[in-house]
Order: sequence, then C-alpha cells, then structure tokens
Amino acid sequence: MIRADLKGAVPDCADVRTVGIPRALLWWRYGVMWQTFFEQLGRTVVLSGESDASSFERGDALSVDECCLASKLYMGHVEELVRGGACDALFIPSWANEGRFLGFCTKFQALPDIVNNTYYGRRDAPRVLSLLVEAQQTHSFEEDSFVDLGVRLGATKHEARSAYKKATVAQLRADEARRRKQRELVAKVKKMPQAQRPLTILVAAHPYVAHDPMVGKPVVDMLRDMGVCVLFSDACDADRAVKESFEFSPTLPWLVNREIVGSVANMRDEVDGVVVMSSFPCGPDSMTNDAMALRMKGVPMLTLTIDAQSGQAGLETRVESFVDILNYRRKGGYLHER
Amino acid sequence: MSDKPNGQVGAPQHAADASEGIANVVAPKADPRDYAAQLPSGNDAGLGADEPVMLHLADFAGRALDALDNVKRRGFDGPIATASTPQLQGKPAKKSKLRLVNRPPRPKRDRHARRKVAFLRYGYYDIAFKFCVEHVLDADFVQLPEPTRRTVELGSANSNDFVCAPFKHILGDYIEALELGADVLVQFTGPCRLGYYGEMQEAILRDMGYEFDMLNFATCAGKPVKEYVAECKRKVNPDMSISAGISGMLTVFKMVECLDAYNDYYLANAGFEVRKGDFARARTEFFETMRAAATRQDVDAAFARGIADMKAIEIDKPASPVRVGLVGEYFTAVDAPSNLHIEDKLLAMRVELARLMNLTNRNLRYNEPNLRASIPEYAAFDDGPTSSLTISAAKKYAQEGFDGIVHMKSSGCTPEIDCMPALQRIGREYGIPMLYLSFDSQTSDTGLDTRLEAFYDMIAMRKAR
Repeated sequence: MIRADLKGAVPDCADVRTVGIPRALLWWRYGVMWQTFFEQLGRTVVLSGESDASSFERGDALSVDECCLASKLYMGHVEELVRGGACDALFIPSWANEGRFLGFCTKFQALPDIVNNTYYGRRDAPRVLSLLVEAQQTHSFEEDSFVDLGVRLGATKHEARSAYKKATVAQLRADEARRRKQRELVAKVKKMPQAQRPLTILVAAHPYVAHDPMVGKPVVDMLRDMGVCVLFSDACDADRAVKESFEFSPTLPWLVNREIVGSVANMRDEVDGVVVMSSFPCGPDSMTNDAMALRMKGVPMLTLTIDAQSGQAGLETRVESFVDILNYRRKGGYLHER
Repeated sequence: MSDKPNGQVGAPQHAADASEGIANVVAPKADPRDYAAQLPSGNDAGLGADEPVMLHLADFAGRALDALDNVKRRGFDGPIATASTPQLQGKPAKKSKLRLVNRPPRPKRDRHARRKVAFLRYGYYDIAFKFCVEHVLDADFVQLPEPTRRTVELGSANSNDFVCAPFKHILGDYIEALELGADVLVQFTGPCRLGYYGEMQEAILRDMGYEFDMLNFATCAGKPVKEYVAECKRKVNPDMSISAGISGMLTVFKMVECLDAYNDYYLANAGFEVRKGDFARARTEFFETMRAAATRQDVDAAFARGIADMKAIEIDKPASPVRVGLVGEYFTAVDAPSNLHIEDKLLAMRVELARLMNLTNRNLRYNEPNLRASIPEYAAFDDGPTSSLTISAAKKYAQEGFDGIVHMKSSGCTPEIDCMPALQRIGREYGIPMLYLSFDSQTSDTGLDTRLEAFYDMIAMRKAR
C-alpha cells in the first residue's frame, strides 16, 4: 500500500510497533525527543537498561578495538535490545550536523551502517529505523527527516509533523528544567555564608560521558561524596555557550564541544575548578581539551581520560588531590594553615 | 566579507577597547553632573578689575549662558555628551574575551612585501602546491626537504598525545617551514578532525613564539569561491590576479591528475623492473620536469614524456602477479613518510599495487552519492570524509580478484575505524585477505616489515594453491 501523494517517503515501516532505543551516545542529548516522537505516533518505546560491566563486555566484543569507550558501550546497549527480542526495530539515526561548524563526531553519522554491518549475517540481526540529519550540504534538516520517518511509520504528514513538534517541545522543557535546577543550585550556593560554602566544580564533558554509570558518573559521585557542588556543562545555558565558543574559536567543528568550551569560558569565574572528562580515545576532545588548556590557564582544571581499564582507585586519588588543592587554594595557600 | 560564522563576533571586543581608552583620558575630570561646582561664582573669574568693561560684559554673558545650559540639563536623565565607562559608574569590569587565536592585523595593500608560502608535506603533491603558490597566489614557495625523524618528533612534542598522527606530522612540517623562513602557512579542511587542524596548529605555533599568517581554508569552507579569493588576498597577496589565478588553478588540477595517473602506472609496474632503481630514477626525473613546468602545455608535455619514459623501462611481469589494493585514510594512505613507505616495501616484494585514494579521486572527481550507490549493501549513509571511497575501493578490488587489501589509517581515526565492520564483511563475503594497519608517530619500521612479509607470504601461498 504505497501512497502516491507522498514525496519520497513510503510507509514501509508501518508494521513496527515497538521501537528500541539504546541508552547511549546521543540518547543522552535527544532521548526525551526521540521517545516522545515515537509515543506520539502510538509506538511503544523500549529503552535499554543503565550501562553496566556486562554492557561494556558485550559491546567490546562487537566493536573494533580502537573504538572509543562510549561507542563500545553503545554496541553493548544495542546487543542488550537485540537479545531482549522485544523490539520490532531499533532507532539509530545518522546525525551528522545541524549546520556549518555545528557538527557531531563522525561516529554518529556512521552508527546505522556500523550496526548493520556488524550484525550482518546473524539470524537475530536487528531491523534498523534510521534518518539523516545533515543540514550543511544535503540540507536534510531535523524536522523534515522526522516527518519522513513518521510517514514511513504509516502516519500522515500532518500527524508526523505534530508528533515532531510535541517531541521538540518536550525536549526543550526537559532541558530547561535541568538548567533551571542548576541555576537554582548556583543561586543557593551563592547565598550561603563564605565559610560554609561548598566548592563548586564544573564537569565539562559530553552528556554521555558525564552521566553514564560506566564512564563519568563514578567521578561525579566521588565529587559529591566529598561535599562538592557539581555543575554540568550540558546544564548550562547552551545558546550563550555556543555564542561564546564562536568568540573563542571560529572554526571549531563540533556542536557539543562548542557547548563544553563555551560553558567553561562563561562559568570560569563562578566555579572553583573544572573537571574535563573524555572517553578514551575521543577524537573531538583530543583537540578541544588542548585548546582549553592553552587559553584558560587561570582556571584550575583536571583532565580525566576514562577508558575501560581506568581503576577506580587511580581516579579517586586524582579527584581527591584536585579537591584538596582547591580547598587549600581557597584558604590562601598550603603553608598558612588558618 | 566577514570570515566569522556569526556576525557579532569581534565587535564587542572592539567597543570595550575603545571605551577603555577614553576612560583613561577623562578619569581625572570632575563628574560633569556635579552642576553646583560648575555654576559661575565670580570669585574665580580670571579677569582683573582693570580689564575693559566690554570684556567683563562678555565674560558675564558667557557664564550666564553656561549656567542656563546647566539648569536646562538638570531635569534631563539621558546620556550627556561626555565619555564614561562602566568602571566609572561602579559596575564590574567586563570579562576579558578568550580567543584561541587572536586575529592578526590586516595587511596594508600599499605596503605589501612578497610573501613566502609553505604547504604541508603531502606525498608528491608538493609539485602541485609549488605551482599553485607561484602561479595562482603569485608568491614564493618554500620547498621543504624530505622529512626526517626530527620532523615527527617536533610535531609530537608540541601536540596532545591522542590527536591523530597527521596532526603531528603536519605540525612538524610547519615548524620546519617556519625555520626555513616561511611567513604564510596553508592548511586545508575536511569534515573530521582535519577541520580543526588549522586553528589548533596556529594556536600552538603562536604560543611557541612564531610569527606568521595562516591561510586556513576552514574559515571559508562551504562558502562561495570569492570568499576563498578574499582570504588569499588578505593573507598572501592583495594584488593577486583573478584571471591568472583561475587559469593557474585549472593547470593545478590538470597537474594533480597527471601526477596521480603517473603514480597509478608506477604502482602497477614498478615492482617488476628488471634493473633495480629504473622506475625510481624515471620518477625522480619526471617530478623534476613537472616541477619546472610553468604552463598547461608544459604539464601535458612533461606527463607525456614521463609516461613514455616509464613505459620504455624493461619489466618482467608475470601473467598473473600478486595484486594488492591499498585503501585507507586521506593522509596516511597517501603520504609515504606517514605510512613508513609501505608502497616501496610492497613493490620490493614484486607486488602489483593499486590505490584509488588520491586527490584526483577524493577531491577533483569525488561524487560521494555515486560512490555510495555502488555499495548499497554496506553503507546507507555518508559515514565520514573518505568512508565511501574506502569501502567502494575495497569492494572494487575484491570484485576484480585482487589477492589482498591493505587498509591504512592513523591510529584513532574515527571514520576509518567505522569503515572496518564493512571491510571485514567484504573480506568474508569475497574471501579476500585484509591487513589492517594503524600508524602513529611511534610505529616501528621493523614491526611493519614483519607484518607485511607475513601478509605477503599468506596471499602468495593462497595464490599458488
């Protein structure tokens, strides 16, 4: 049943009732939007569980050795959904860029093909539901691509567009709620008397690094256990951060790194220190971490590169000594204990 | 004309500077709004009693007008025509702006000195770069000697550990070029980390204390050609001729095609020379004539002579030689010092080589959608800067019955890592052996030799069966 009035897209995926979404990589940024979109179209969304050691092991077995930790975890989440067998298809978009100098790591472009090629020939190979977001050259804009996907799922163009709009609103609301919470936290800390005020540390990292239990979350928990008030670069004002990043570096190609660099630049006077976290070996971070270290010399900065072998103890030592240094610094130096 | 992605970059900085400058001048002055202090009192009149009456009258009239003016302003809260800064009004000073690279001042057209331009080292393309500098940009070209161990050591010492190897090689090239007197460095752009090479390297080199201009095409990528021209005029030569530039550029493209076509024949046949060194000698000679070319006719003549000379070399090529296809990343697969001269090593084992990855196929004739159309089973999307070319080349070699494929990339190159599941599938489906090589600045020559020998033995034995 192919409808002639639709340009391009045909409802070839109308039979997909349950959509699986791996809880990894861009899910941390767009998860609310994706989930709302499918739910608006009457689909059931199955999310993989939180990352754990087994997701890493499964992902590691499926990935090329040199892949970064976060992308190995992604394959682990895909495998979990495939083994679960509850989904008709997995949603794996190809997310290249949202405009000039607003790109993503090339990994996100290639994900659907990586999954297809990795699972090719296996009896349980998943069906992949995908779309392209590439604004710069092919002008495949997010909205059009989602509308096309909606049509492929059997909805009318109108239904698909309204589902997409609701999905973006839901995502905006969720982002704004996180930002408001962080703003309130900052305001609360500022009101406290100087002596009781906790250290404020900005965690500057990709969302899938900062919040994933197998990557950066242990570090965040460590900081919180030491009584530190933790702020996240992805809960800062993103528009202001991107604007600031264009000031800092006109040709920086990646959007999320723009948000990280920009929020560090904006917040550098308001926080006591910055923890920069990357998953090993992150391509974009390998360059922007250097850029920050070159120009933000006055800001106490701890750079952590997290791989699967990072021992918890080693991380703890580094984080503890960083917090100690910040505490001493606040007191006015090591020698004059007051 | 702005080379900045959003219009307001730079402007606030300028405004802040200007107002600070004025603040210094007016700071000691009394607050202009302290009107009482400015009312005429008569006591401080600079006129003695013996002055003419007319002068006293004029003085009085002037003061009265001043006083009226002040009284008129009393009810006016708007800005008064006098300089003031946020600091004077008790507001905190504006945050200093962070910039990775501070923009150098614009050169003055009438004070232009001929500039020395250096490119990065990239295989044999320095010949085309030289032509481009001399005939398009109309500047002097800094010819870099063969890279040494020192080049990559300089580059690695000044860059982050886990940036990709080409970054380190190119940074080393730039340092050597600056030591040789270059004052403009040229960097390209691409849809991966390459897009950020230019700005990062400029920041690192400036921090090291070098002074130069960076012709960074990342600033104008995706914009109309006139932006490129404007950038070249700004950075290299304000008097550059457009018409000569266009015809020069066409010759550069022709030259690149000739160099690549020559190289294709070289790779296919140089392994079977009867007298050792014949091909290498012919190639050096060809490069020399090509380097001396000044016109399109020279380029064509050099190519015709080069190919004829090479075809005249005696070879003993078996009817069915061992054939290996080379695929991989833009820089590492092409630049011999970066891949530890893998082509020479394989040619010495009497192997016929083919490599589709070159500037002709990746830049001049690159049609990504069409390439992808030839590999629909492996790639539904454009997976990265060279992914479609890598996968389609591998498939082509597999279909043409090559004996093996060598995949080369710099270690940590994300787009090429993402090609590997597709390449592994091609290997399985066509039963063709694949050798995956990752190069970084520490890769050892002996380690590579061992792996190549083992790979060669394996494919030669498979062929003999």
